[in-house]
Amino acid sequence: MMWLAKDPVLLAASACATLPFVSMVVILIFTRRYRSMSAAISISAIAACLLSALYLLWTLRHAPEPVQYQWAWIVSNDMIIPFGFLLDRLSLLMLTIVAVIAFLVQVYSLGYMAGDPGFSRYYAFQSLFAWAMMTMVIAPGMLQLYIFWELVGLASYLLIGFYYEKWSASQAGKKAFVMTRLGDIGFFLGIIAVLLGFGDLGILSMNEAAQAHRIAPSVVTLSALLIFCGVVGKSAQFPLLTWLPDAMEGPTPVSALLHSATMVAAGVYMMSRIFPFFAASPDAMAVTLFIGTVTMLLASTMAMVAYDIKQVWAYSTISQLGFMVMALGAGGYFAGVFHLTTHAGFKALLFLCSGIFIHEYHTNDMREIGRGGGRKLIIPMVCMTVGALALSGIFPLSGFFSKEAIMGVLAAKPNKVWLVAGLLGALMTAYYSFRLIFMILFPRQPAHHDAAHQGTGHDDHGHEAGHHGATFWAMAWPVMILAGITLVLGFFHKDLEHFLLGAGPAVHEAEFHGEGAGHGLGHYVLLFSAVSLALGGIVWAWLEFGRKGAAQEGFLRRYPKVEALFANRWYIDHAYRWLLDHLVYGGFTNLFTRNDRRVIDGAIDGICRFTVGGGRVVSFLQSGMVQYNLVLMVAGVGAVILFFVL
Amino acid sequence: MNSLSVYLVLGAVLFSLGLFGVILRRNLIGMLISIELMLNGANLNFMAFNRFLAPEPAVGQIVTLFVMGIAAAEAAIGLSIILALFRRLHSINVEQARRLEG
Repeated sequence: MMWLAKDPVLLAASACATLPFVSMVVILIFTRRYRSMSAAISISAIAACLLSALYLLWTLRHAPEPVQYQWAWIVSNDMIIPFGFLLDRLSLLMLTIVAVIAFLVQVYSLGYMAGDPGFSRYYAFQSLFAWAMMTMVIAPGMLQLYIFWELVGLASYLLIGFYYEKWSASQAGKKAFVMTRLGDIGFFLGIIAVLLGFGDLGILSMNEAAQAHRIAPSVVTLSALLIFCGVVGKSAQFPLLTWLPDAMEGPTPVSALLHSATMVAAGVYMMSRIFPFFAASPDAMAVTLFIGTVTMLLASTMAMVAYDIKQVWAYSTISQLGFMVMALGAGGYFAGVFHLTTHAGFKALLFLCSGIFIHEYHTNDMREIGRGGGRKLIIPMVCMTVGALALSGIFPLSGFFSKEAIMGVLAAKPNKVWLVAGLLGALMTAYYSFRLIFMILFPRQPAHHDAAHQGTGHDDHGHEAGHHGATFWAMAWPVMILAGITLVLGFFHKDLEHFLLGAGPAVHEAEFHGEGAGHGLGHYVLLFSAVSLALGGIVWAWLEFGRKGAAQEGFLRRYPKVEALFANRWYIDHAYRWLLDHLVYGGFTNLFTRNDRRVIDGAIDGICRFTVGGGRVVSFLQSGMVQYNLVLMVAGVGAVILFFVL
Repeated sequence: MNSLSVYLVLGAVLFSLGLFGVILRRNLIGMLISIELMLNGANLNFMAFNRFLAPEPAVGQIVTLFVMGIAAAEAAIGLSIILALFRRLHSINVEQARRLEG
């Protein structure tokens, strides 16, 4: 332990990589029955991680070279698989994001999960989640990253299916696990491809070698595409995007964590982690850009017709993740990572605010929350509006800056289709966010509902004011802190850019092209058009949902077929169902079942029947007389003796 | 014909008589006695080889003593099996004990 004390950086990194795990084990083994102690253990572990992460960020902020601690885990001939910590600018930034969000979510859960029978279990899984994510973030090699990547998947499976006695929740957990696993198969094959084609799984050496063209281009393209499958699964990209809306079955703080800093962010983070590797293959980048765009547009349309408050944010997460993947695919390393950062803040904010509403009104339906008097909860309402403004990309908020960065990168592409798609996405994002806000702020049918509810409504209010105690404030404080972060984060745009790119080992031409093109007159035109489109989306939502006498139906109501298409998630789930029924169940499963019944069972049954029948025939030889056996024995021994003697 | 051959022929005769008895007698006690004859035929061989050929004269005698001990144990067990069988079947004829017929 002395060597740990001598190196505070290593000590802090090890703390991040062990403390939450220790807390999980302690909670599961010792303190399951003592709720407050479990929460205290888990929160103090994550607080220690937060302090360590901030310390690391502060100490290493000027470090010119990435700090790497690694030990060879598996060495075989030329193959080296390291295990340890890699602390460079990207991982430090991500580590801090994860620690901050996980800490706030755990504090918030004190209020949200209060009185739940699985309280201790919840905190144990939260610790597992934080541990897996943080260790994944600082992994120096792809295999370690992959292991913790899977652990992140496991933790989110456990948390999505947290209310396991509910059928839909356990189904949703299973769906999330299986669908991400589908992508992870590709990821693993990609790792194997790198291992075969290059022989070293260290992230830094992979990036360097790919940039210096020391790996064959075909190997790079193949493994980049395979690894991207993992991103598609984890970050819910097209076509594996349908698990994320179902993942709403978990408790709301879990959704907040899952959608902002952990699970889905893991995919985009991993992609930016080996961004130089991806950038070395233009084909892979093109595929990435395409998938990101499709995902972004599809998910936005789905969000436009959802009534479940959490589902709207879930679709918006998918769409924003698509946006990040687009940015990375277009070569905008900083833009993608920056949007990941800001999105983590405001999406956690949106979910935590929704959680307060759901906690108060016991419904996920935005119409009912509105009717129940959602706007009376001032703090979450204001904070949610801040989050929605950031999501739409309105000026002083963090989302504005990151979206502008992405638009700049897209505009630098020679093909303007991507830019148009991006702008369209911005319009739809503003529309669906404010559709939700206006529906809660200006509920319809207030007449009879309010009259009937007037008395009880006031009672409710008084009651709420009474129980705006520790529970409420445990939820309100994290929300306000996140709103504050969302408000100011954008102004650190340039600092972050310098921090990430300043002395980064691999700086990319595409990035500089993007920035270079962005600074002219075109930049301002772009800026103006993006913001005006977002404002247009808000005004549009106002006309349809906000103003007095608005029908609150949305223009899509007039096109029932389109609405049904959007509401059914473009029938992607139906397509999967069909594929499952026909190809998997009808095809493979049927084939294998028949193989099992006919060939394998038949063979075993045949052997049994042969043995039994043979036994029956041979048993006629058995007369029951000892002396006949004896004669045979003597004859046999005599034959053996004759054989050996002669 | 030297004396070793005499002993060996005598042993073989004893063994063959025993074998003959075991196979043909239907009386279980008779079978037991015949097995004793076979054992003694083998014992005679051991003693003859020990007397005429062995460099270390004690080995054959030890084996013979050992066989005699085993034979005593075998007779005890055999007789108790016969007794049990007699209690069950009221007969010591081996033809009566044919439960294992296939």
